[in-house]
Amino acid sequence: MTAHGEPIDPRPLRVVRGGGYPDWEAVYQDNATWVYRTIFARVGNRADAEDLTAEVFLAALRPLRLTASVGEVRAYLRTTARTALAAHWRETLGREITSIDDDIEQPPESEEAISTAPQRVAEVLERLPDNYRRILELRFLQGHSIKESAAELGVSVANAKVLQHRALRLAAQVNEKDES
Amino acid sequence: MNARGLRRYVDDLLRGRRPKPFQPDDFEAAQIRTAIDLQAARLGSDAPREEFLTDLRRRLAAQADGAPQPADKPGATRRHVIVGTSAAAAAAVAAVSIDRALIDGGQVADGDNKYNSSELTPNTGRWTRVAASAEVPEGVMRPFDLGSVVGFVRRVDGKPEAVSGVCTHQGCRLWFDAPDGRLRCPCHSTSFSPAGQVLTHQLPIAPKPLPALMVREQNGAIEVFVPRPDEPA
Repeated sequence: MTAHGEPIDPRPLRVVRGGGYPDWEAVYQDNATWVYRTIFARVGNRADAEDLTAEVFLAALRPLRLTASVGEVRAYLRTTARTALAAHWRETLGREITSIDDDIEQPPESEEAISTAPQRVAEVLERLPDNYRRILELRFLQGHSIKESAAELGVSVANAKVLQHRALRLAAQVNEKDES
Repeated sequence: MNARGLRRYVDDLLRGRRPKPFQPDDFEAAQIRTAIDLQAARLGSDAPREEFLTDLRRRLAAQADGAPQPADKPGATRRHVIVGTSAAAAAAVAAVSIDRALIDGGQVADGDNKYNSSELTPNTGRWTRVAASAEVPEGVMRPFDLGSVVGFVRRVDGKPEAVSGVCTHQGCRLWFDAPDGRLRCPCHSTSFSPAGQVLTHQLPIAPKPLPALMVREQNGAIEVFVPRPDEPA
């Protein structure tokens, strides 16, 4: 186990037969959550995340040899997820929006490897004007409706929509600048 | 530009619906990226549903019951990867035993004329057909899978050549990137020339080149020499 455990899946790693998995079910039980979370962090919605996760396991467990070590199985699952995600973007938006890094220092099931979105978002929000930051927090982080958010900010619904639109544009600019 | 497509996409994300495809430009793509980040940063948003996990488990069980189905193989090739150093080790050992058979045969041939025929038949394996001659024209990289040996054959100046199709790093199965004319490993971005030389890699130490396989052409078929299955390679 890594220092950063899986908070959602507290099941301990079963170590058997020279460090491999006893059967496909163990592979699934042990890895489904982090694979799903890795994908969700890059598509942002449940429907796509579920489809892609299913695709990864259906594709990966077929040729998987159980003589592989836990680390190898996980590296392989991450690679399979990477391929599935790339295909998803090609098919839906015609370009790569997000990707799963191949070359990571942390193990695939660690928080750092699953998603760095919370850190990135915190950095971006910090640099936005107050009302821009607040509308994004209300809408995305707290899941409020546009109506609720407008009331919270004391503006009209139409204003809140414009605010959200501009806030996302500015956040995207800040985000991209950070990366380059 | 597609302001409407973007607005709808972001709206779908916020409502937890599956977003609809459209063609975003660079800046729209950046905004989608940011919206996805924001969605993913919501506390607890990324926990998989219990129903989903249970359902997928059922689907996997159904697949496991039906497997292995050889008929499924061609469809699965895109993501067909052999995991585990055991596969790489097996491939390497197979290549070594083939090399040795070649060398031994060669030495014998030097010393004794009765082996001076055009063909060597080492006794540690057998020639196995991997393709019809017509299926391997000049310039084509043809994959084959014999179970114990996976590889690619091609034609160079009229003569068939074959390399192993398993990455020498961790045993992942290679695919041929035809536009780029190279074999690629899906696991760690390593690529090899059709002849098996390492072209690119991102590993601390360069992986070994792909072992060449013995190959011949006879009676309109390309054959590769593989170890006998009963032989502990």
